Amino acid sequence: MSLKDRAWFPIVYMFGITLLLSTILIIFGTLTRKRVKENETVAFERAVLEALPIDLPAAVTPNQIHSIYVSDIREANDSSAGALRYVKEDTLKGFALPLEGPGFWAPIKGVIGIEPDGLTITGIAFYEQNETPGLGGEITKSTFRDQFKGKKIAETETPLQIRNPSEALDGSSVHAITGATQTSNRLAAFLNAYLLEWRKQRMDRKW
Amino acid sequence: MVGRKKTKDVVLTAVWGENPVFRQILGICSALAVTNLVLNTMVMGAAVIFTTALSGFTVSLLRKYTPRIIRMMVEVLIIAFYVILFDQALKAYWPDMSGNLGPYVGLIITNCIIMGRAEAFANNNPPLLSFVDGFSSGAGYSLVLICVAVVRELLGMGSLMGIPVPFFSSALWDRWIIMVMPPGAFFTLAVIVWLARTMQKDTEEKKTKGSK
Amino acid sequence: MTSSDSSMLHLSIILFTAVFTDNILLARFLGMCSFLSVSRQVKTALGLGFAVVFVMTFTIALDWLAYRYILEPYAIEYFRFILFIVIIAAFVQFVEMAIERYSPVLYQNLGIFLPLITVNCAILGASLFMVIREYNLAEAIAFGFGSGVGWMLAIIAMAGIREKLNNALIPKGLQGPGITLIIAGIMALAFIGFTGVLSGR
Repeated sequence: MSLKDRAWFPIVYMFGITLLLSTILIIFGTLTRKRVKENETVAFERAVLEALPIDLPAAVTPNQIHSIYVSDIREANDSSAGALRYVKEDTLKGFALPLEGPGFWAPIKGVIGIEPDGLTITGIAFYEQNETPGLGGEITKSTFRDQFKGKKIAETETPLQIRNPSEALDGSSVHAITGATQTSNRLAAFLNAYLLEWRKQRMDRKW
Repeated sequence: MVGRKKTKDVVLTAVWGENPVFRQILGICSALAVTNLVLNTMVMGAAVIFTTALSGFTVSLLRKYTPRIIRMMVEVLIIAFYVILFDQALKAYWPDMSGNLGPYVGLIITNCIIMGRAEAFANNNPPLLSFVDGFSSGAGYSLVLICVAVVRELLGMGSLMGIPVPFFSSALWDRWIIMVMPPGAFFTLAVIVWLARTMQKDTEEKKTKGSK
Repeated sequence: MTSSDSSMLHLSIILFTAVFTDNILLARFLGMCSFLSVSRQVKTALGLGFAVVFVMTFTIALDWLAYRYILEPYAIEYFRFILFIVIIAAFVQFVEMAIERYSPVLYQNLGIFLPLITVNCAILGASLFMVIREYNLAEAIAFGFGSGVGWMLAIIAMAGIREKLNNALIPKGLQGPGITLIIAGIMALAFIGFTGVLSGR
């Protein structure tokens, strides 16, 4: 009777194969885990820097992003109401407010940059989204994001409007993406909720 | 060693004659969703080729030792192993792409083509030939999906691989947003399958006529 | 506002989304193989549909527990592909044995469909989406059930249409999968109409 015909052979065989393949995977997983974590951190840091008025070189490396972030970005404090602070030469240059809310397919996570006056938007960036590429996914493109620069947070119930592309714009509204009504609506909903809350908290602190 | 003619035959049947997508519309679930951008489709295709080729090779290498009753389990395990490797590598070295493809890389495990090639070919053929077979099946499959992606991205977004195409990105062309959305994938694939089948029918008829 | 909110409204929105607007078959293309091959008759489509709803609802809960209590604590999330597949296969096997033993009638109607389900990518896909969207257990179950129902709805509708097309004149190259894909495309188009219902949610 050969080895292959024994009753225990399939079990030992399966066990051996599983053990071998799992070992390789665990080694590979452990080797890459640090990198995966770093990717996530850098994605967030990049979004913060992109939302603020910071000029990043075109081919910026993850290390550069990290070092700029570490040197210029400070934790939130009482007056910033949950927003990170951009501090250069001991003066406050802006706020970076992290946002998070449901998109059409999966959660959208991003950062909105605001000037020290607490009114003017310096930019917006997203570091996690799974919207339809080419439609909702366009929120990560500069054509959409650049619209936010210089807009004012209005003193109304919707501080920042995302309007139909055919409508006229004013100082606190931007155009939605054609064909991505759902993404635009959802983004507008949670973006405004965050801005309202932020404004309220800052008001409370002032008085 | 593998004869050159045999290798060529294997490649030709896998890519055209027995192309899994044209013949049975097998295994499109794991990839059709990412066909609205050519670049995403190419990476997805690379993942499929990587998995079919290497799993074919490994299954074939082990075919003499694997007990019959646990054959399927071993095959699934090997396929899953390669898929996880690819997924993890993508996460570490190309995080943006990993995010774009979402769960679809993992779904390659349930792609019927890979399991089908392992069962039908790798189980009875030497490792190198199985590698070639897996590679070509994967390539044939990717080719069809890239065709779908080219049509969808061009008509829907006026670009190819993110680069605007002259006429289609201009104001003269009204972008077909429906092509970027799910129905576009169904329509495009249907038309491509239709064309391919009609062409294959013609050649088959010619062959039978010629032999008479 | 965040996804940890598990009020009834929130759950029913997840359910509704999974059935209609984000239909796992028509918007996510999962479970196409059996969708194309088992949609010739309404009766079989119904049987397979029920089996999918049942298996999906339970395996998504099991997968959630396994992910939360086995994979996450040891930081080996990348093993989820294998673990989920094993859980699905084991669950299907178990259900098959159970209903064969206790309900021969049910077994006759559903039994033949169960093996088909292990290779149905919609089941694995639903579990993978659950991980990406960071659902909690209640949300995951709502999502799994909704996805199953959505899949069933799509395959029954498809079978109904195909039964009517039996004697229609269709170009040779388009017969079979070709025409099925076109019908699926039109159905996907119709389902997009539902997105308006949820606007802003």
